[in-house]
Amino acid sequence: MFFLTYLRRELRRRMRQAVFIALGLALGIGLVVTVTAASAGVKKAQADVLKSLYGVGTDVTVTGPAPKQHSPSSGPSKEGQTFKLGPGGAQICQNGKCHSAAGQTIDNLTASNYGPISQSKVAAVAALKHVKTAAGGLALTDMGVKIPKNFGGPSSQPPTPNSFNVNGVDTSHLSLGPLSAGTVTSGRSLTGADAHSNVAVVDSGYAKTHKLKVGSKVSIAKHSFTVVGIVVQPQSGSPPDVYIPLARAQALATAGPSGKSLRNEVNTIYVAATSAADVAAVQAEIKHLLPGDTVTTAASLASQVTGSVSSTAKLANELGRWLSILVLIAAFAVASLLTMAAVSRRVREFGTLKALGWRSSRITAQVLGESVAIGILGGAVGVALGFAGSAIITSVAPKLTATIASSTGQHVVMGGSGGQQSFSPTVTHTVAVPMSASVTAGAIVVAVLLALAGGLLAGSFGGWRIARLRPADALARVA
Amino acid sequence: MYQLTNVSKLYAKGGRTVPAVRDLTLAIADGDWLAVQGRTGHGKSTLLNLLGGLDRPTSGSVELDGRDLARLREGQVTRLRAESIGFIFQTFNLVPTLSAAENVETALIPLHVGAAERRRRVEAALDAVGLGDRARHLPGEMSGGQQQRTAIARALVKEPKVLLADEPTGNLDEDTRDEIINLLEKLWRERGLTLVLVTHDSAIARRAGRVGVMSKGLLTIQSGTRPDPATDPVSS
Repeated sequence: MFFLTYLRRELRRRMRQAVFIALGLALGIGLVVTVTAASAGVKKAQADVLKSLYGVGTDVTVTGPAPKQHSPSSGPSKEGQTFKLGPGGAQICQNGKCHSAAGQTIDNLTASNYGPISQSKVAAVAALKHVKTAAGGLALTDMGVKIPKNFGGPSSQPPTPNSFNVNGVDTSHLSLGPLSAGTVTSGRSLTGADAHSNVAVVDSGYAKTHKLKVGSKVSIAKHSFTVVGIVVQPQSGSPPDVYIPLARAQALATAGPSGKSLRNEVNTIYVAATSAADVAAVQAEIKHLLPGDTVTTAASLASQVTGSVSSTAKLANELGRWLSILVLIAAFAVASLLTMAAVSRRVREFGTLKALGWRSSRITAQVLGESVAIGILGGAVGVALGFAGSAIITSVAPKLTATIASSTGQHVVMGGSGGQQSFSPTVTHTVAVPMSASVTAGAIVVAVLLALAGGLLAGSFGGWRIARLRPADALARVA
Repeated sequence: MYQLTNVSKLYAKGGRTVPAVRDLTLAIADGDWLAVQGRTGHGKSTLLNLLGGLDRPTSGSVELDGRDLARLREGQVTRLRAESIGFIFQTFNLVPTLSAAENVETALIPLHVGAAERRRRVEAALDAVGLGDRARHLPGEMSGGQQQRTAIARALVKEPKVLLADEPTGNLDEDTRDEIINLLEKLWRERGLTLVLVTHDSAIARRAGRVGVMSKGLLTIQSGTRPDPATDPVSS
């Protein structure tokens, strides 16, 4: 075919220029592919973290409002438990009355992150129009600490608290909530028959750290729970350490600083929408039903995750995207300018072809063909560069970390000559997430489209120049 | 065949209008050989461009077989050029990346001739100009004379009615010049072509049936004195 013969010969003649243009496009396209792959990798890492937090099948979570913190200047709290350090030594204040804490063991199960929601609201949420099902849960923290007898003395060391997350699971709705995402690796999961039993399923990471196995005992709020199963979450996000039946959690837990019992209360409602398209509607309906509570979707939860996974997401999405766009614009501009220059050098050739009876459209098609061929070459090299870039990122990128902060539920007041200071110890859960950049089919499609666009854009400029070329002028210019 | 009536072509140059061709009326019959002489810048090439439909007159009409090129749409003029008019340029104007055969083939592309027929006609055209054995050579691998022969083959492969040659020997040495002019004359005679040839060379012009001299855009036709090419080789 003459078109291809002419195209091949012309590209061979200006091989260097063609390679230069193709490499420019390849660089831009390679960057786009790499950034897209990195971005997809980060999104997957985020999704894995969120999945372990959120549970499989959960579209919306509802959490009670964060409880008000006790003011240090107002003296011991009238309700709940406060641990106080001062000149008189360590004191535990319960419902406004304080006594020495020396030698005592504190083991409290509290809900300090979220305020309580009446369990009746779970049924109300489940009855909403776009809701498929809803389950209540309790996100709790067990804080255990043994106070040394000489604590508060001149040479005493502060006690080391043992804190872990406990999740009260509605055993009649095991398909929702954090436990739903896990895989039981040993023993069994919770069942409906466990509703009022002191049994627990333990996260594999926590079990490993604390050498727990099926049959081991775990102390929660001074009660002994038997481990019936070990569960592993699909990704090492920030899963609860221990899962216990909701009814037991309600019986043992108190509501943070207030110290109120959580019987017939939950602090989290896991909601599944009838379809993914209904998530926004469900969110709106629940906000209307429970105006004081926090309604969270996976999208909004993602913004609460910090750490390098979040920074990398920002880097990939913002800097990476803009860098790719800039390089692409530069590559397209260079390709267009060089094509225009090539057309200028070939004015006599095109004028002659017009004199021979070639239509402008035919000559333009020839130039477009050359540009698109260069674009396709650039696209192919760009995809290869993208694969290489992704492989490099996967092999050299450090593990990303996702950090989710949560309060321990304890309130510590420090006394001294400078007055009282108080704080609520915060536990941050930092998890390592492997960064895996993988080139998707979508990224390759984008690369091919960009390559074609680059070629067509550059060729169009050349074609526009050719269309304006009058044969007499073209021939006179070189005659 | 050609009928030019009151043709003028004006160019704007530096804020003023320059007439390249002025009020030209001319008839060129089928099979005529008209040589056009004149000094550089006096309108010879402009006349050739008007005859070839590469440019349009500012006023007047340029009729080829009764069709006014000035009134035809661009696509129609392009089609007419593709079918009926062959061009030969001083600088050969071959596509440097294409072989001799492929360069000749470019003239058949707009006519949508099938590949096999193209090959046959290209081969015949190259044989006619004595380049049958150079079909695969690139322009850069051929001498000036061979390149011009290739250009002649390209002009003739589509079997045009008209051959327009703009200084076809201007870039050639004397021997090659004679060779090319003899070839053109032979083809003109054998094929019954209408040949309009622009040249500075009086010896070449004398070979034509009619000689016109362009001066300041005005054409003066003189009758030709055709010597016998066998006994009177071209000399300047």
